[in-house]
Amino acid sequence: MVIRKVSIMKDHDHILHNLEQDGIDRRGFLKCMAWAGTGVLWTVSGGVLVSRTLAQIAKAGASSLAATDLSFLQISDSHIGFNKEANKDVTETFKIALDRINAMPTPPSFLIHTGDITQLSKPEEFDTFDEVLKSCRTKDVFYVPGEHDVLNDGGKLYRDRYLDKVEAKGSGWYSFEKNGVHFIGLVNVLNLQAGGLGQLGDEQLEWLEADLKGLSADKPIVVFAHIPLWTVYPNWGWGTGDSERALGHLKRFGSVTVLNGHIHQVLQKVEGNVTFHTAMSTAFPQPAPGMAASPGPMKVPAEKLRSMLGLTSVQYKQGKTALAIVDSNLS
Amino acid sequence: MKALTPKNRLAALLFGLVFLNFLVFSRADDVGSASAAPRDNRIEIKDFAFTPQTITVKSGERITWINHDEEPHTVVSVEKQFKKSPALDTDEEFSVITGAPGTYTYFCSVHPKMTGTIVVEK
Repeated sequence: MVIRKVSIMKDHDHILHNLEQDGIDRRGFLKCMAWAGTGVLWTVSGGVLVSRTLAQIAKAGASSLAATDLSFLQISDSHIGFNKEANKDVTETFKIALDRINAMPTPPSFLIHTGDITQLSKPEEFDTFDEVLKSCRTKDVFYVPGEHDVLNDGGKLYRDRYLDKVEAKGSGWYSFEKNGVHFIGLVNVLNLQAGGLGQLGDEQLEWLEADLKGLSADKPIVVFAHIPLWTVYPNWGWGTGDSERALGHLKRFGSVTVLNGHIHQVLQKVEGNVTFHTAMSTAFPQPAPGMAASPGPMKVPAEKLRSMLGLTSVQYKQGKTALAIVDSNLS
Repeated sequence: MKALTPKNRLAALLFGLVFLNFLVFSRADDVGSASAAPRDNRIEIKDFAFTPQTITVKSGERITWINHDEEPHTVVSVEKQFKKSPALDTDEEFSVITGAPGTYTYFCSVHPKMTGTIVVEK
């Protein structure tokens, strides 16, 4: 297994201790978090983190995007219906996120929502989400469910609403092609077992193997699912029990990007040709792994909230192995 | 026999309602009296954990879970030995009356790391 060293360029901080060989040490991780929280954007290219400020992104503007073959946007964990202290108006912050998308100089080709659309899987929460989403200029949206979207009915309501654009199999997984990139949406929030983590299950893993079979190894792959497909923090259930099997099927590909939500903060790891990335929520932040009694909603001062919410822009340029991933917050 | 006027028809109806209510109340009162009341055992859900994690109760006693988190949780029998709860939002409760003696394990199907054990004694 090749582990690439992740260098955080901004403060010339490098990984000093990488005990778990995950490319992120505790100190580096916390700096990265602080950094994400203060509104600086970062891009990943070829496994190296490079910081860019909002001003630089704005200056580069449309010209930097012109040569891009495909750009899409990840939005996650909108939790419509949540109304507790951590954010009493999640609908409003979701609207702000959509306003940011509408203001982009080059609109993304489509959106990916990585789950937890709602707080309690209620029809009226899904209704509110759908109504607010109408204001988004980008109309194509691809979904995977979060555990909050499948609370009482095993995901039936979710599947009835959000899979009409795709040929979904099983409990709602699917794949599609855009501009030569192969996208795979996986479901890892159903049939969870006592004591376990997120789960893909045999049927989905067999489908994945078959789905990838005919593809050339130089085909860029983007996998998205709600719960991280790498073990972020098992004590809080932040991982997927059988993700190793999925990654085994992806090993031969030269460029794999894994996009997840669930943990309401930006975290990244590069392992061989696979880049793992988690997005911010548009609703409320959650604590860094192990930094609180539980992973419940984190209360921050009102003026700080929007700096901890955000979305993720992803760009693919033909001929480049790594996709550029840029996180931006809502402050 | 006196014909029912609209006025005394109303009186009869009211009497009937009061009588019915009385029956319901007395039945509820029977169930609620000290001798027959199932003892209630509380399990608190807080910080993504069931407390106490293991509870020992007598058969026929009631167990009530209450969710103090800002995150929904469920109570699901691992071996499907009792009805599963709906998703419990903040401050919502769920109760079961325990049955046959034995050891029952349960978990939160939303956060499966959360597990608990019920020991039912005779």
